[in-house]
Order: sequence, then structure tokens, then C-alpha cells
Amino acid sequence: MAFDSLRYSPVAGRFDEVRTDDGQLRPTWQAVARALGPLEPGVLIERQRQADRLLDAEGTGHLVHDLSVGRAESHPWRLDPVPFVLDAVEFEWLAACAVQRMQAIEATLADCYGAQRLVADGVLNPATLFGLPGYRPTAGGPGVIARWVSHYAIDLVRDDGGVWYVAHDAVDAPSGLGYSLLNRAVLARLLPDGLRAAGASSIHRHADVVRRALAAVAPPGRPSPRTVVFSGGPTSDTYVEHSYLATRLGVHLVEAADVVMRAGRLWLRALNGLEPIDVVYRRLGDAYLDPLEPGHHGGGIGVPGLVWGARRGGVTLANAYGAALAEAPAFAAALPDAAQHLLGEGLRLDMLPSGARLATSPVFDRTSGSLVPRPLVIRLQVAAHDGTFTVMRGGAGRVLAEGDEPLHPTAQVAKDVWVLDPPGVPRSPVLVAAPSLPPQVDFGASVPTRVADALYFLGRAAERAEVAARTLRVVSQQLEQDPALVSVADGGWAIGARALLRAAQGVPLTAVPEGVPLADAVATEVWSAAGVVGGQLATVVREAASVREYLSTTTGRVLGRIAEAQVALADGVVSPDALDTVLVDLAALAGLATESTVRGPAWRFLDLGRRLERALAVLGATEAALALDVSPLGLQPVAEATLAANESLVAYRRRYRSDVDLDAVLDLLLHDDANPRSLAYQLDRLREHVASLAWPDGATIVNDASLAALGHPSDTVAAGRRMHIDAFVIGVRGHLLGLSDAVVQRWFADPVNPTVMRGR
Amino acid sequence: MPRFRVDHRTEYLYGRAMADGFTSTHLEPRNAPGQQVLLANLRIEPTPDELEQVTDPWGNRVTLFAVHHPHESLLLHSIVEVEVESPPLPAHDPPWETVVRAAAAATGDLALEVGPYLALTEQTTVDTTDALAALTSPEFVPGRGVVEAVRGLCGRIFGEFRFDPDVTDVSTPLATVLVERGGVCQDFAHVAVAALRSVGLPARYVSGYIETQPPPGQPKLMGVDASHAWCSVWVGDHGWVDFDPTNDQMPPQRHVTVGWGRDYHDVTPVRGVVIGAGGTQSLTVAVDVTCLD
Repeated sequence: MAFDSLRYSPVAGRFDEVRTDDGQLRPTWQAVARALGPLEPGVLIERQRQADRLLDAEGTGHLVHDLSVGRAESHPWRLDPVPFVLDAVEFEWLAACAVQRMQAIEATLADCYGAQRLVADGVLNPATLFGLPGYRPTAGGPGVIARWVSHYAIDLVRDDGGVWYVAHDAVDAPSGLGYSLLNRAVLARLLPDGLRAAGASSIHRHADVVRRALAAVAPPGRPSPRTVVFSGGPTSDTYVEHSYLATRLGVHLVEAADVVMRAGRLWLRALNGLEPIDVVYRRLGDAYLDPLEPGHHGGGIGVPGLVWGARRGGVTLANAYGAALAEAPAFAAALPDAAQHLLGEGLRLDMLPSGARLATSPVFDRTSGSLVPRPLVIRLQVAAHDGTFTVMRGGAGRVLAEGDEPLHPTAQVAKDVWVLDPPGVPRSPVLVAAPSLPPQVDFGASVPTRVADALYFLGRAAERAEVAARTLRVVSQQLEQDPALVSVADGGWAIGARALLRAAQGVPLTAVPEGVPLADAVATEVWSAAGVVGGQLATVVREAASVREYLSTTTGRVLGRIAEAQVALADGVVSPDALDTVLVDLAALAGLATESTVRGPAWRFLDLGRRLERALAVLGATEAALALDVSPLGLQPVAEATLAANESLVAYRRRYRSDVDLDAVLDLLLHDDANPRSLAYQLDRLREHVASLAWPDGATIVNDASLAALGHPSDTVAAGRRMHIDAFVIGVRGHLLGLSDAVVQRWFADPVNPTVMRGR
Repeated sequence: MPRFRVDHRTEYLYGRAMADGFTSTHLEPRNAPGQQVLLANLRIEPTPDELEQVTDPWGNRVTLFAVHHPHESLLLHSIVEVEVESPPLPAHDPPWETVVRAAAAATGDLALEVGPYLALTEQTTVDTTDALAALTSPEFVPGRGVVEAVRGLCGRIFGEFRFDPDVTDVSTPLATVLVERGGVCQDFAHVAVAALRSVGLPARYVSGYIETQPPPGQPKLMGVDASHAWCSVWVGDHGWVDFDPTNDQMPPQRHVTVGWGRDYHDVTPVRGVVIGAGGTQSLTVAVDVTCLD
């Protein structure tokens, strides 16, 4: 008897992927069910939990869509713990159908933008074709566009009788490849033995196929073509996939502002100037590519002149501009006749008739904890390369909710699609003896300006968040342990603590307003410092979201936690525990930046931002707390707070084993180059960064700051201030602020705002 | 044969220096039945860093150029001289239904010639066709000659719509024009083109100019001091005949054709994108058409 532990009953009389009408497991599923092991509720719940956790670690659905990055609605998507399975025979047949359809689309697009035989021969109604919004008269014709569709995705469904249909052709900027690879990575972690035991084909090499497909369409005469993934940025629906794909393909992820057209070619705005680009793997639709083109949507967004450049043969768009035409329902309706006319063959797959009832698959239902029958759409990926077509041996399924049209699934539940290897046949590699492609980009050297910009401000925001959180934590703790501190030394502690909190927020030091009790003044700053922490964390998440591919995979997980902490802070949760969590997460972020990031210009800008902000923070704290002339009784807790806020209290106690001595505190915070929190240490790191960037002007500024920081502030008191400390801080800070301006001017792009010129 | 000279200046002032600018123009006229181009000279300031002249899919001349250095203004100065001659009208005016059937049944080169101009594009489409039917049904009565019916339609548009530049701008949809019953020559042309295609006649949107200085004693025509637009209709074997619904005339009276397409988007005189910190933007257009004979 076949192994059958699947607690699952489909609807009678409706084709189900797993069970036959008489309740038996289908042959394909007998092996799979054994490989998956007993799918009891407990097992499924645990696997779902793990899948959620792994997806969160990738930052999918989260990071970008759940959190305040600019989208009101959030649709985190989830991966079903049970795969969708196709056996080898069925897959080969579907793959052949998909390839045939891709060829038909290619031929039809080439004809519509070229000889227009279909119109001339009466196959296509010209009134229909030339009225489709997707028809782009400026797309370019024969001799200009060598290939219209390099990457194609097909949505397939089975009706309730078990017959396969096409639901949709994705041609404009097909999504799903990155999600498929991501889904598989998650299930492979969940069921490492299951995949192997079931005999599921590997899909991870399909990224190489796509790389080859993209290199194949490069303009002639570019022996080592350079590709970029072109994205609409972190607010795009599928940005997670863009970022993941860029990483897997080993190419830059660019947005419109990162590139510019010159002399018919496309160039990346990089730290070292303009770098040429040969192929644009576009993840933006036709209508959003180039504001110079008629029918462009979205005002000035896009790259002006891009389509002109593609038409001149200077840069290749993959898929070609104008390919969106193939997604029009009227185009799909005409495709069978077009295929017959142009290729002399009938299409093997029909379009799904409207209103058809679909087959079902078992899907884990969180509410009931059981498997329920649900219809779904599966998407296969096809790439054209080296004169042939490769269909990825796997894909992604999307589960349809009640009442969903197959074109528009609302439920955000995905399924990993497994294709089984043919029995007894040794697994064949995706590519046979393919010549290797030269590496695309030296990520160590080539960094888009926008990326450097985002990393620099990410570094600054992370450091500012840490200083504010730590100061907040220290002051709150002191007050909690000894509420009487407020009245110590005629309010000396309170004045110092308040000043420290203001400095940590980066706001000017002011006198306590007349008539406000000191305790209230401190409380006010505690409250607003929490707001600053939240604000800086939001900046960290926002900047990080746009440069994911430069951060390690684990970083995504930490950022997810930081994003949650930011939401909690926004909700007014400022417990010491919450602050500790934030500090641990920020430390993890800093640790990952140090330990898991390649030392190139990208890392240097991240660390430059961090060092600069930390140097400013140490100076701010020194000025706020230590330049105040308070009695020794007040100085003690204030100096301790300053040390603790700068992570130097333990070091101080180990070194001096004494009560707080002002000179010793200043020495540890400002001059001790062995203390990683000191000003001197930050200046050393800044010196290394500007030297590595070969930036003489920056080196001069850092040198001036270091000279200014050599002085030892001595204890001269006037008007309640230690004048020499003030003078020291002002002297060094001037240079650091100068450095901050110089970084932006020298390295970061001007804001780019394309504007469409009006006129009749 | 009359010769016309067109002097067309388009000037953008950006208020601030723009780092980059990309422009696509339909300013140089094409040769057409009844029109011979003698001179087409487009002067651009500042001098573009790159420039290309191409022919678009409709056969029009397009100049694309880009400026990659800081510039606070852009001047396009087009000087054109053409010789025009009124083509003869068809000796026999075929019933409009015959023309509609011939257009629908067209194959081969004819299908490619008339097909695009049957299409309902974004600028020639309305959700409810009542307003268009109200314009066409009194004119397109069974058996009526196609030229006569189109003249009737254009006369009706001329009579029912008022010329008013304040009603529309370049992005006003056709539906609004039909409700407001007003607009500029582009809108009149779109109404005519949409109405003609709605009955199945191939109709082109034509972009060009009309003579500014009227002969003594004649009223000044509307649509002057700017680009002009009208329509051209396929009337069967005879080919294409132009109609100007803004002035209720049959060009070329004092018309100079630049190019044609399915609608305004296909033959926009100047379309551009500038990149730079946002400034104020002002546009000055001056068109002067003079008869040289």
C-alpha cells in the first residue's frame, strides 16, 4: 500500500493535484508524500513557522512593504510549506508549450514592429493593433531590435477537468524568477532531505542562464558586456526580487537617477565617474522607462533618451521597449492565428476561458491548522540564449483566494513548484559545456554614487540612533536608581543630564526655561530623545532598503528587527528593555558591517558616516556635560553618564580604578586612540578612509581636525563654563562639519529631477 | 503655385541652469501630395551635443537632440519654405459606405497605408460614443458622397464648437472637449478624427501651419500664431483629402503640412525633458507664415 499520511480531502468532482477522484494519491505524489514525511498538523505548523522566519530573514515582504518606506498598504507574502509538484513528463510537455508560445510572441512582435505581414495579410486587424496602448511606434524595427523577448514567464492553470491553459503571458518585465529562487532557498532549508528524496530538479543555475540570455543581446562589438538590473526602487512592488536577482546575477541594481544617456550610450553614475552599461535587464514596464517617449506614464520618472539610445543600438533593453504589446488581451487573442501564419504551427495551449472552474491543490490553512483545497496559478520562467530556450525546472505558484481572477491573485501565499527528475535518468546540468562569462562587475571598485550616498547616511543614522538610545538608557537608569539625583549639587546633575540628552539628539544646548522644574525639563528631553531614536531608526531602514545588495543576508534580518523596534518606539514604548533591544540590534548591525562586508569603497562610505557621526557625538557630549562647571558632587554622576553614554565607563574603571577625575575622563574620551569610542580613534579611521579613497581635499580636512584635536583642554573656568573645553570642541567640530559638507559635494550626485517640457 | 515661408520660434526659459536636456521634434515638413519642401532649416541654441535626424513610422521627419552642458534656455528656430498646389478633388465622390467597406477589406500595402488611421487611440477614444454619433449621424446618411459627408461633418464641428484656448491644454481628454464644446485646433482635429474613425473611415491627424497674414478684405483666421492641426481622410482610390474643421476649409488653402499620425502624440512639434534642480519654466512660441508670391 502506498504511503499516505496526508490528511487532506479535496472537493469531489473537481480535479485535484494530489488525489484522484477515488481518494488515492496520484502516482507522482506517492514518492513526494514519502519524501515529505508525515504531514500532520503539528509538523505543518512548525514548518510554516520556520518558513515565515526564513522569509523574514530575507527581508521579503517585510523590510520594504510592511514598514514605513512609503507604502500605505502592506502585503507580506508567505510561502506554503507544501510544494506543488510536476512530474518530468508533464513538465516537458508544458515547457515545450511555453517555448512555443515564447517563439510565437517573438515572431509576432517582430512582425508588428517590422514588416507587418500580419496586417497586410489580413490576420491582424490594424484598427485593433494600432489602437493598443502597448503599441509603441518609436520602438524601432528590423535591423535595430535583434530580440524582443529574452525573458518570458507564463502563467498556467489547470481547469477542474485537469486540462492545462494559459492564464497570462508576462512579457513586459516578467517577475517571479527571483521569488522562485527565494522560495526554493527557503524550502531547501526546511526540507533538505525532502527535495533530494523526492527527486526535485535544482533551479539555482537558472540565474546563470538568464545572465547568458542578457549577455547574448548586448550590442555588437561588446566582448565583455555589462548588465544592470533596472528597478523602480524600494517602493516598487517587487523590489525584494530586483535586489535578490541583482545579487544572484552579480550585477548592479540601478534606479533611473543612477544612470544617464550620453552619445547614445547608457552610463552609470559611479564614484569614479561614468561607467558604460551595455544591457538593461529592465524590471520597469515600457510605460515608465523614458519620459521623452509619447505615452510615457508618471511624469518625469525614467531615463530620458533611453529608448532613443536603444534604437540607435548603443544600449539593449531586455526585454525590448514595445514588448508590453504582447500583454494586451487582444494580442493574446490573435496569437494562435499569428503563430499559424508566421510559424506554420498551431499553439498547443489555449487561453483559459473566462469563468472556468480550476483544479485544486492542498494549501496549509493557518486558521484551521489543516490542508485545504485551493486553486492556484503557476508561473514558469523561460530564457532565450545561445540559439535555444531554457525553461527553469521549477517555478512559483500563487494561491488564489475565493473569487480571485487567475490574473490577479489577492492572497499573498506562494508555493514552490517542484519538477521531478525523470526516473532512472542521471540529472543533467542546466547548461552543457557552456563557455564561462567574464565577471560582470568588480563590486569592490565600482559603486554607484547613490549607493555610496545611502550607505553614508545609513552609517550616520545608525550611529546617531545608538548615541541617542544609549544616552537615554543611561540617564533613565541613573534616575531610576536614585530619584534624588535631580536635586544633587543644586541641580548640577539634572542640568548636565538634560544637556547630555539634548546633545545626543543633536539639538543646541539651551538654558532650562524659567519656572520649569528641573525634573520636568529632564523628562521632556527623555521623551523627545526617544522620538529621535525612532526617527533615526526609520532612516536606517529606509536607506538600507535601497542598498540591500550591499549588505549581508543576515543584515536583512537585523533590519527587520530594527524596523519593528522603530514601530514600537513610534507607539511610545520607551522601556529600558526596549532600548536594550535596540542597542543590541544596532550593535549587530555595526558588527555585520565590520565583519561581513567586503572592504571596498561601499564599506568605506558606510564606515565614514559612522565615524564622522560618532566623533561629532563625543564632542557634543563633552561640550554638554563636561564643560559645565559643577561641583565635584554633581560632576561625578554627570561624568559617569557621559562615559556610559559613550560606552567608556567600564574602560575608565578598569584603567583608573578611582572616582571620576575630569582630566582622566577627557583623556579617555578625546585622546585615547586605544579606546574605540574616542575622538582620536574616529579621526584615525577617517584618515584611513580618505586615504583609501585617494581624496586629497578630504585628507587635508581630516588632518586639520586631527591637529585641532591634539590640544589638551585645561581647566579654566569662566561664567560657569570650562572655557578651554568649549574652545577645543568648537575647533575640532568646525573641521568635522566641513568634512561632512565636502563628502556630499565631492562624492554624491546632484539631485536629478527630470521635467517634461510642456508645449503645443 | 503659391510658396509659403514659415518662421517658427519656440523658446524655453528654465530660470536655472539645467544639466541635461533631451528633445524630440516634428518641425521639418515632409513632402506630400500637393506640397514640395524647398527649405527646412532648424537652428538650435545652445548647440546640441548630439543630434540625429530620422524618419518615424508614419513617414515624418524627426530631429532628436540632446544638450549635456548647463543651459538656462533652449531656442528652436525653424525656417521652412514650401510650394503648395491644391490637389484635384475626386472626379466622382463615392458613397461613404463603399469607402468604409474598402478600408475594412484592405490588404497588402493598402492595409498598411490606411490601417493605422482606423485605430482608436487614447486621444481619439471616448467611453460613450453618443456625442460622436450626434455629430456623424446627420451627415453620414445612406449613399451620400464621402467628400460631401466629411465636409458636412467638419462644418458641423465648426458650427457647434467654439475656438477657446482657455478650455483645454495638451492633456485634456477628448471626452472633456466634447462636453465643453470648445478648444483649440488640436481639439477640433481630434474630434473630427475620432468621429470619422467611429464610422469606419481612415482619418489622419495632420500637424502643420496656416498662413498668418490674410489677404486684404478677408477676416483673420483662427489658429494663427501657433502650430495648426487638421485632418486628412482616405476617400478610396483617389487617396487622401484634407479638411480643416477649425476654419471649415479644405486645405491647402493657406496650409503648410509638417507631418501626420494617428493623433497629436505621434506628431508633437516639440517634446522635451530637462534634468536639473527645479526652476520656473516659461515657454514662448511665435509662428509667422507668409505667402511669398
